[in-house]
Order: sequence, then structure tokens, then C-alpha cells
Amino acid sequence: MKKLAGLKGKGNHLCFLIIAVLLAASPLLVSSTSMIQFLGKCMCFSIVAIALDLIWGYTGMLSLGHGIYFCLGGYGMAMYLRLRDNGGQLTDFMQTGGLEELPVFWRPFQHFPLALLFIILIPTVLAGAIGFFIFRSRIKGVYFSIITQALTWAAYSLFIANSKYTGGNNGITDFSSLLGSTRGPANRGNLLTLFWVTLLALILVYMLASFLVNRKFGKLLIAIRDGENRTFFSGYCVNNYKNFIYTLSAILAAIGGALYVNFNGSITPSQMTISYSITMVIWVAVGGRGTIIGAVIGAFFINLCEYNLSSGSLADIWQYIIGIIFCVTIVFFKGGIVGIFRDQIPALLKGRGKKKEVA
Amino acid sequence: MKKRVVSGLLAVMMGLSLMTGCGAAGSGASGSDSGDTVTVGLLHSMTGSMAISEQAVLDAEKLAIKEINADGGVLGRQIEYQEEDGASDPSTFATKAEKLIDQDGISTVFGCWTSSSRKAVKSIFEDYGALLFYPVQYEGMESSENIVYTGAAPNQQIVPAIEYLVDQGYTKYFLLGSDYVFPRTANMIINAQVEAAGLEVVGEEYADMDQTDFAAIIAKIEEAQPDVIINTLNGTGNVSFFKQMSEKNYTSEDYMTMSFSIAEEEVSTIGSDILNGHMVSWNYYQTTETEKNTEFVEAYKAEYGEDRVTSDPAEAAYDAVYLWKAACEKAESFEVEDVLAAIDGGDIAYDAPEGTVTINGDNQHLAKPVRIGQVQDDGLIYEVYSTDGPVDPDPYLETYDWAVEAGIKPLE
Repeated sequence: MKKLAGLKGKGNHLCFLIIAVLLAASPLLVSSTSMIQFLGKCMCFSIVAIALDLIWGYTGMLSLGHGIYFCLGGYGMAMYLRLRDNGGQLTDFMQTGGLEELPVFWRPFQHFPLALLFIILIPTVLAGAIGFFIFRSRIKGVYFSIITQALTWAAYSLFIANSKYTGGNNGITDFSSLLGSTRGPANRGNLLTLFWVTLLALILVYMLASFLVNRKFGKLLIAIRDGENRTFFSGYCVNNYKNFIYTLSAILAAIGGALYVNFNGSITPSQMTISYSITMVIWVAVGGRGTIIGAVIGAFFINLCEYNLSSGSLADIWQYIIGIIFCVTIVFFKGGIVGIFRDQIPALLKGRGKKKEVA
Repeated sequence: MKKRVVSGLLAVMMGLSLMTGCGAAGSGASGSDSGDTVTVGLLHSMTGSMAISEQAVLDAEKLAIKEINADGGVLGRQIEYQEEDGASDPSTFATKAEKLIDQDGISTVFGCWTSSSRKAVKSIFEDYGALLFYPVQYEGMESSENIVYTGAAPNQQIVPAIEYLVDQGYTKYFLLGSDYVFPRTANMIINAQVEAAGLEVVGEEYADMDQTDFAAIIAKIEEAQPDVIINTLNGTGNVSFFKQMSEKNYTSEDYMTMSFSIAEEEVSTIGSDILNGHMVSWNYYQTTETEKNTEFVEAYKAEYGEDRVTSDPAEAAYDAVYLWKAACEKAESFEVEDVLAAIDGGDIAYDAPEGTVTINGDNQHLAKPVRIGQVQDDGLIYEVYSTDGPVDPDPYLETYDWAVEAGIKPLE
């Protein structure tokens, strides 16, 4: 496993390059608008998966609550788009809740630059504060996971309970993307621009993540994962490193969420449930954690499977299929899809019989 | 060297998984209007927390399709259907709606249950100019040109129920609901209506969607001493609430309730001994006495088993398919534009199990009869009052002075 994580060869980058080229060319290969929309959503999921991989795969902190950051970004963007589309009026759910004027915290979202600022700022402050207290108290391992889960649950309940401010379960709907409508042949131009912008964002996030993990900083993250106390006694301020990477991960997740609502056309609290947050972890686990590229592959693989399996005759059993894929990966292929191709298959090809190193 | 092999293989795999997607994209061309069949979409939650409710609706839609096919189809074509799983997640509904419409070329979809799923797909149906039949009673305040609402609007369920209670001499109302949009909107309407009648709302409480402990709420009810509890709890909340009321030996004689989300299916879950005597408001019950309903209940039980019960949403879903058939036949076309134009005429009607229903051309809701029912100890619901004929739909309550005064219609 150590070798796997440390091994950041050119193979990964080449693979990402191929994925990126395929994605960039996909609008030319696929005529259906809905498929492009869906691939766009998958790219946003990949961004979140990379964010999770940074803190789980590299730093060993399993967050079971990244849905909250994804949704904070998503809601921020949705609030802006909704106000833009209705001219800054009260929304229907505010009126149902008995509000007379736009709530104070909605007002900044009338302006695009402010909205962008808050999309980044809110997750930064929240994750920074949570990280500060959690890491200062030296909470780690399963306790960290439980706390992130509880926080997400709390946020979910808060969003549901304050339906006059957030739209409750219905969330925020009825808006078009940043570039206007993206649906149907007439708006294909908008969709493609949005698609390529998102692809660019994915490439930048990938580059940033690779940049970070390939220098001393990345080695430190791995050191924290594999021996936090030893790293601490070597003179590194572990808490600050952990807090930094956790906050960065939250920001990346929020960016993923903000891009996602442009494709989806709505955002609801179901994206911040615990089960959805765990789904995100599954993307990383199946793809192969601690590899960055694995997160991207996992997000695409699982979502494409879901998309294609959950209709027609398989609709009743598709969740079992995904479940089996996950279980098989966890039990037999700890390195995920990437691990299969990097370790298991080459080992087989070289006829070693048994691998020296079980990933 | 090793890395080369790795990356090559990875690339092949990624390519393959993308192709699966694209391949599916290509195969969708079989589309809507080819040959002697016409394909419609069925978009419901087949997995997740809503699956148990939506299954009944899905079954009713399939039953209607089967009957129509056996009877010669629509405009001489057999109906085929493509099922998609919304997985109880609004975003999945949105993705799947788009897949059905754009990729599979299906323009007519029967689907959704929760308001959140309907709202998530609404703009998709509008943008693509497709048609959704939505089969569940809901909170109103919406009328999309691309949706036909075959369930009740508030003035076909909530408003008549309160009118009935006022007539019966109930004066003190307690509003209890799950914390989401339907109960919130329903209670906004009920507050205005009760106030306009010069009566009193003595309490308003909301429970979390999955709350199981109602001790605090029951204590508040005891303190407020209402004549009647207006119950808009949904799902598991109902089971816990009524069980805990009966543990305190409260029956419908101590605290009468009027529920908007309890149909036959829920009665069998909660137990008819507990719900005995309590009131509900719907447009249809399994016991509704029409000739058509006898046939419907018989066919439903024959298809899915003697122990299954029919309910209002299932009946509304069944009607939806027949109404679509009637609209297509009038339009002599399956194209959404033509079907919508036919609906606009306002005379698409169907002699449904609940009585004759007609699509209102202006707001695309149905004119339908309203029935107040009472649960009996055999687990079925029996009608105690019904409106003289169909009630015209009014999703924004524009024809009610008290509602206009209270400013219930959304500004947007």
C-alpha cells in the first residue's frame, strides 16, 4: 500500500490525459444532450472524489460527511441562479414560510462575484473551524468519521427544518445554468461551453492535487496517515497540515457542488445525506484510494454503472450489483480498479503467481 | 515499462466504460413512434425509502397499460413502457427524466410521487416540451403546461375536509404535520380557512420526517384540548403517532383526527383497530361504489394478489394512463404538442373508478369528486360524505375569498 501511494508515475497522468481527451471529444462523439449533461455531472463528482482522496487516501482521515460541503457549494450557486432567474423576488417557499422580504443571508447571492466568494468562503470557514476543534482535540480514526457523519446529519436536519430559508426537502429548483438553458438542441452551445469549463475545472483540480501530493507536502500527508505520532515527534505540526488539507478538500467539494447544480438544474438536501456522503467514499474506494486518478475513475465507473443499470429489467436489482462490486473490491482488490491494473494484472503477466505485496 | 502497460490497460477500461454509456445512447433511437407500438416512460422510485409507496402507483399504471393493450391499444398501437428508477432521490429523478426524454426519445412519462421529485423534473419537461402525468395529491401552487396533475389539488382534498369539519361543529383545530412542504403549505391554507370561519387553531406542531417519539407533541395536544387534529404526518411518523396515542387509550372519541396522507395501504400498516373511527379525505376509496371501481379492484387484485388494496394515488395513476389515451385519440397523434392542444380544449374526460374526471384545460388538473371517509375495523375506508359532483380544480385557491385575502398565491 505504501508503495502504491508513493508511486505517482507518469502512468497515472497519461491515463488522466486520455480520460480528459476522451471527455473533451465526447460532445463530438455523443449526440444526445442528456448523456453530455450526465458526463458533466460525473466530472463534478470526480472533483469531489479527488477532494475525498486527498484527505482519505493520502492523509488517512475518512470523512463520511463530505456531502455537506458539496451541498454548501451547490446551494450557494443555486441561490444565485434562482435569484437571477426570478429577478431577486421572494421565492415560493419563503412566501409559504411567511417571510415578507428576502432573508439577510440570501442578499449577497444576488450578485455573482459575492455569490462566488461565499461559495468558497462558507465551506472554508466551516471546515476550518471544524478542523481546528477536531484536530486540536486529537480526534482521529473512527471518531473523526463519526463526527463528520454527525455534523452532516445535523446540517441535513437544519436544511430540512428551515424550509422557509432553504426550500426544505424540495431544495432549490426552477433555474437554468450560469450560461442559460442547456437543454435541447437549440441550447447545445451553452451546454458544451459549460461542459468544457467543467472539464477545465476538473483538470485544474487534478493538477493541483497531483502537485500537492508529489512534493514534500504529499509525503508528509502520507507520513501522517501511516504514523501520526512519529510525524508529530519529528517536529511537524500535524494539526495544521491536517486542517489545511481538510479545508482544501472542503473547498474542492464545494466547487464540485457549485458546478453540479448547473447541470442538474436543482439542488436538494438528499445530496448531503449520510448515505450520499458514503456513496462518495465508495467512488474513491472502488477507483482506488491514494492515487488521485483512482478517484476520477471510480466516480465515473460507479455513476456510469448506476446510470445504465437502473432502468428496465435491472431496475429492481441494480443496487445489489453496485453493492457486490463494492464488496468484491473491498475484500479482494484493496487497491480498487487502479490497483487491479497496476498490481494484480502486471503480476499475473509476469507469471509470478503470487504477488510479493498484497495491496 | 510496467507503468506503460498499466496506463494502457486503464485507458482501455475507461474507454469501455464510457462506451457503455454511449452505446446506450445510440440504442435509444428506437424511440417513441416507431412501427406499431408507442413507448411511454414510467419514472418512479423502485429502490429507496419511497419505493414502498410508489410500487402501488407503478403497478396501477402497468395494469392500465396492459388493459389498454388487450383492448387494441391507442390509435391502433400497442403501448410499450420503459421503466426508470428514481431511487427516492430528486437529482436521480432529474437525471433519469432527461435520459428518458432526450436519450430514449420518449415524450410521455408517468411518474413521481414526492413534490421534491416533481419539482426537480418540472423544468426538464418544460425545456424539452415533454409531458408528465403526476398521479399524487399535492400542495398545489403550481400549474406547469407540461404536467397533467391527476391527483387532488388542495381545494379537492384539504379545503372540503375543513369545510366538512366546520359544518360538523368542530371549533378547536390542532395542526400536526411532518416538516416538509406539503404539511407547511396545507397548514398555511388551513390557518387562513379556519380563521375566516371565525374558529380557532389551538396549536401547530411539526415532527421530523423520521421522528418516532411523539410524547412531547401528545403532551401539547393534551394541553391544547382540541376538538380535532388535522394530521398531515407522512410515512413512519403516522405509525408512531397513532400507536402512541392508542397506548394512552385515546380513541377517535377523545381526539378525532382528519388525515390527508392515510390511505388504505397505510391503514393496513398502522392497524385498523388503532385507526378505527378516524377520518380521512381523498377522492377515491377502495369501497367507492361505482361500477367501474368494482372492475378496477377486481382487476388489480387478480393481477397483484388478493391481499393488495387499491388506494387514491393508485387510482389516480390508473386514470392518468386512460386520460392520456383519450387525449391522444382526440388529437389523433402521439406528439406532445398535439396532445397538449387536445387537453387545452378542456373536454378530455374518463369514466374513472372514482367517477367521471375531466382535465381542466387551463391548469391541467382534474375536476374530480371529493369524499370524506372514515376508517372501519375491517381496514377499509368508507365514505361518510361526498360532494355532489366533481369539484373544479383551483391549485392557487383563486376562487376562495379568504385565500385571496390571506395572500396564499405565490408572487413568483
